[in-house]
Amino acid sequence: MNKGFSFIIIDDSELDRFVTQKFLERTHTSRAIKAFHNAQHALDVIGKNPHVSELPTIILLDLQMPHMNGFDFVEEFEKLPPEVKKNYRIAVLTILSSSNDPTDVDRIQNYEAVHRLIEKPLNKEKLLSLLNQV
Amino acid sequence: MSEKIKVLYVDDEPDNLMGFKASLRFDYHILTAVNVPQALECMAAHPDIRVVFCDQRMPGKTGVDFFEEIRIDYPLPVRIMLTAYTDVESIIGAINKGNIFRFVKKPWTEADIIGAIEEANKFYIANSMLIIKNHELETAYAELNKFAYSVSHDIRGPLSGILGAINLASEIDNIDEMKEMLFLMEKSVKKMDAYVISMHDYYSLQRGELKITDIDFNKVMDELKAIYTVLAKVKDVTFNVTIKQNGIFRSDYAPLRLIFNNLLSNAFKYQDRDKKEKSVEMIVEVEKGVATIYVKDSGIGILGSHVGEIFNLFYRSNSLEVGSGFGLYNVKSALIKLNGQIEVQSVLHEGTTFKVIIPSI
Repeated sequence: MNKGFSFIIIDDSELDRFVTQKFLERTHTSRAIKAFHNAQHALDVIGKNPHVSELPTIILLDLQMPHMNGFDFVEEFEKLPPEVKKNYRIAVLTILSSSNDPTDVDRIQNYEAVHRLIEKPLNKEKLLSLLNQV
Repeated sequence: MSEKIKVLYVDDEPDNLMGFKASLRFDYHILTAVNVPQALECMAAHPDIRVVFCDQRMPGKTGVDFFEEIRIDYPLPVRIMLTAYTDVESIIGAINKGNIFRFVKKPWTEADIIGAIEEANKFYIANSMLIIKNHELETAYAELNKFAYSVSHDIRGPLSGILGAINLASEIDNIDEMKEMLFLMEKSVKKMDAYVISMHDYYSLQRGELKITDIDFNKVMDELKAIYTVLAKVKDVTFNVTIKQNGIFRSDYAPLRLIFNNLLSNAFKYQDRDKKEKSVEMIVEVEKGVATIYVKDSGIGILGSHVGEIFNLFYRSNSLEVGSGFGLYNVKSALIKLNGQIEVQSVLHEGTTFKVIIPSI
């Protein structure tokens, strides 16, 4: 079942982008992987490019970024036309900690586009569980 | 005390006002008003009035009503009732509605009034200090909140990245891939280290006295030049320092070095990688006890709409993960300590110039 997913990684950390990308490559399921350090750039690409796969593209989104953070991204994403939105699933990758505002975590899960929340750091199990669910 | 305490006395009898002023004007700055409108005008014109005396029986408004009114707009000045009418009603009103500090009975003696003013002044100072301390506490809490957020992002963020990389390492066989990952891990570790150092700077700037010494800018710069000349070579950036120091300059070395170091570090950090001619120029001019420092770079520049925010704590203008959001905030804090100023001029994609002016202390 897990064949031919496309992925978009949005993370301001170079190391995190690298690690996520390598994990994805190792699942042997990915068709194409695009990585962005800036959420706005990712949004521009999503808004412009037509989708050419029957399978949805999975967006792996970091929450805490300068400029446009994960929340801003999801809010903007929700404004896109439904025929664009239906082709994407968002998985939020974040650090969970006691200093995190719990309402933040609740808030992000309330968005329709947000498929699931994954605690950083990413590993193989977490990734496979995500892929099985989508 | 260098400045006299400002005291306002409100009474509808001009004779009373004159007598009051005549006997107390040497020790205090006495202001008077014959009616409530005049008193309100006076309070608006002198926000530093510390003690207000008022008669109870006046045409129009009673003293109690007046006190009740000014309590809201001017909570700090201490209110004292000065009256011959000692009926229980007015005393109760003065205490409950006017919230007065003292009740002085007419005819008064100088000792009564001086005693009342001195006590009222102590009360005023204690209250003012409380407000200042409260304000400081609020600021400290706000920073602590930001700090908690930043710890999770700037320390736990890189840590979780490194942990993720360690998880991944068991899956990697290719040595080049491994090397690439180790390089990125090293960058994350260095970034965390820099973060911890600037956090330390931040706290040492918030606390502590100034240590004033004679500053020789040539010596200050020698040390920094040694560091940044190496960086300039690595990054292929032309690096020039010009120092013209005329006369003695006295200041605190540590914040001064912090300012220079942060501005230079930024100038190298935010270079445009694609540009052929990359440069950083630093000019220090000391003239008539004022140091003017320019740090110019040919870097990526700052977006006009972000310039106002770059000195805020944890503000990062660039989406590449290079800044901690501490640097320029620390520069600003250090400059406040040294009584200095900073200006920034920036053109996107062309470069940024910081101009710092610091007076000799």
